[in-house]
Amino acid sequence: MLYLELFIQGIVQGSIYALIALGLTLVYGLLRILHVAHAALFTLGGYLGVIVTNATGSLAFAVVVAMVVVGLAGMGLYKLAYEPLLDRPPYIALIASIGLFIASEEIFRLIFGPYGLSYAEAPLQGQFELFAGFFLKHGEALAIVLSVVLLSGLAWLSTRTRTGIAWRATVSDPEMAEAFGVDIQKVRYLNFFIGSALAAAAGVLVALLNNLVEPTMGSVPSYKALAIIVLGGLGSIRGTLLAAMALGVIEAFGTIYLGHLLDRDAIAFAFLILVLMLRPQGLLGKAS
Amino acid sequence: MKISAFLTSAVAALAMAGGSALAEPVKIGFNVPLTGFAAADGKSALNGAELAVEQANAAGGINGDRIELVIYDDQASPKESVPIAQKLVEKDQVVLAISGSYSGATRAAAGIFQESGVPYISAYAVHPDITRAGDYVFRTSFVGQVQGRAGAKLIGGTLGKKKVALITLKNDFGKSLAAGFREAAGKYGIEVVAEYEYGIKDRQFGPIVSKVKSDKPDAIYASGYFFTAGPLVSQLRAGGIKVPVIGQEGYDSQKFIEIAGTAAEGTIITTSLDRDSPAAETKAFIAAFEKKAGHKADMVAASAHTAVKVAVAALKAAGSSDRSAIRDAIAKAKVEASTGTISFNGLGEVRKDVQVQVVKDGNWHHHSVISDAALLAPPEK
Repeated sequence: MLYLELFIQGIVQGSIYALIALGLTLVYGLLRILHVAHAALFTLGGYLGVIVTNATGSLAFAVVVAMVVVGLAGMGLYKLAYEPLLDRPPYIALIASIGLFIASEEIFRLIFGPYGLSYAEAPLQGQFELFAGFFLKHGEALAIVLSVVLLSGLAWLSTRTRTGIAWRATVSDPEMAEAFGVDIQKVRYLNFFIGSALAAAAGVLVALLNNLVEPTMGSVPSYKALAIIVLGGLGSIRGTLLAAMALGVIEAFGTIYLGHLLDRDAIAFAFLILVLMLRPQGLLGKAS
Repeated sequence: MKISAFLTSAVAALAMAGGSALAEPVKIGFNVPLTGFAAADGKSALNGAELAVEQANAAGGINGDRIELVIYDDQASPKESVPIAQKLVEKDQVVLAISGSYSGATRAAAGIFQESGVPYISAYAVHPDITRAGDYVFRTSFVGQVQGRAGAKLIGGTLGKKKVALITLKNDFGKSLAAGFREAAGKYGIEVVAEYEYGIKDRQFGPIVSKVKSDKPDAIYASGYFFTAGPLVSQLRAGGIKVPVIGQEGYDSQKFIEIAGTAAEGTIITTSLDRDSPAAETKAFIAAFEKKAGHKADMVAASAHTAVKVAVAALKAAGSSDRSAIRDAIAKAKVEASTGTISFNGLGEVRKDVQVQVVKDGNWHHHSVISDAALLAPPEK
């Protein structure tokens, strides 16, 4: 029973990792930029979730507001920070991204204060019995359900709609896609909107599970999400999902059984090193 | 009575105004994290220190000279605190300095102050090596071990719980608490059934909650700061664990109660500040701090306030800017402060009682006091 509980805990954590890392993988797949500032959008999502919930009393409304606003912020970030750097080597954009991320932590601190924010009345704090003797917290259930819904929506969008097909075409061959009349600029905006909105959803979920958003809440996701996309095989969406879930589960067990030896974050990177030794292209990456 | 008090303070204020126009202010250095992960504690500590300086200046400063707090942001990082310590010593030429920061930063800076012969008081950093830097370094709060031993007495003695699970923050604060707890555990018949460690950036404790549930302890001794303990306690309770959770001064903030919400109720901690204290000093501090900061007082604020108060008393007693005279005055100090009566042992460690507080109806309240001098004896070397 304990193992099952730990496994479920891993899936909860993995769902959140997946939501965050997906945006990163989308950006990498399209632009070959390591988008560290993505974690700042995750933090912004968390803050908006708490602020809007406290103001309106509706968590559902807050999720929508956070996703839309952060999606737009992601588009703005692309327009202002990355677009002017697209013809430079990718490390220039990476440096800009790291700078933006560091600045964002202090901006959150200046605007919202150093103490962080909490829900006035934390929603979904109870638990329910999933089956005999096995309890799941409402917030954790929401994390899993919301991730499944959002990721299925994304899968539907990318395989069943014209926009999605254009998007995938652009990722695999931008020049060819453009020759076929795909508006690359639109695809890039869409890419940032979706990736950022997913990170915002993750931010709201983390805020819900911790009942705390802080200026520095993006610091762990900023590098762990990088580890996840490398693990999954850079730019591979399925690989990213698999890596996120695997990491969530490994951390859940690692925290208990390896906690004295390795930090939770160290576990992630030890796993990364191990996988890269065996499969340098990542879990589902294509060997080049 | 009232009029004469008013006159004295008016005369003092006049004397100070006249004096400060001519005399240099007395400079006290203050390193404190105002950005980065510890910025929240830093802000509280700064408010506490500033309040103490304002109060001291209003009461005539140091024998008529105005006190100036020279503040630097150290981001709770030794990388920052070392150059700051050098700047405070050489450029600002402070007569004394205070750390409103965490152990890493304070420990690194302590060496510089010791070498330069500038007295240094750590307000709330817990690492035992800080005062071991030398005879110019003092501490107005408990070392981790002392508080850990107090935690063992609280759980095994006062509460009578014997099977305890430890959830330890993996830094010098958490580790030294756990070490102190284990040291005294046997004496109070406590069996440590399991120990889990977590990193300072962790906020999600799902796996630990699941495991602790299966350990079925009588009580949980969990170290952390309000920003880790808030999520931890709320997740323990949401996971259906009902046994008492015992924490320490790192929890000591209204923010802990805000984060954990109703789950915070009944959480007991060992700390330095008694909210329901009948002592005039503590009551006055709590009221004045709330007025200045706009939020409730916490342990770091009270500790920084205490450290400045000790510094001011020593500066007054020394009567000069001679660093060694100031050092001697601190060593001999016996000061009534918001965190109790402060005096130091040979190593510069504070001797005072441990305050036990409990969350009741959304606020910290008095639970008990631990004043076992032998148990709470700080290290002598």
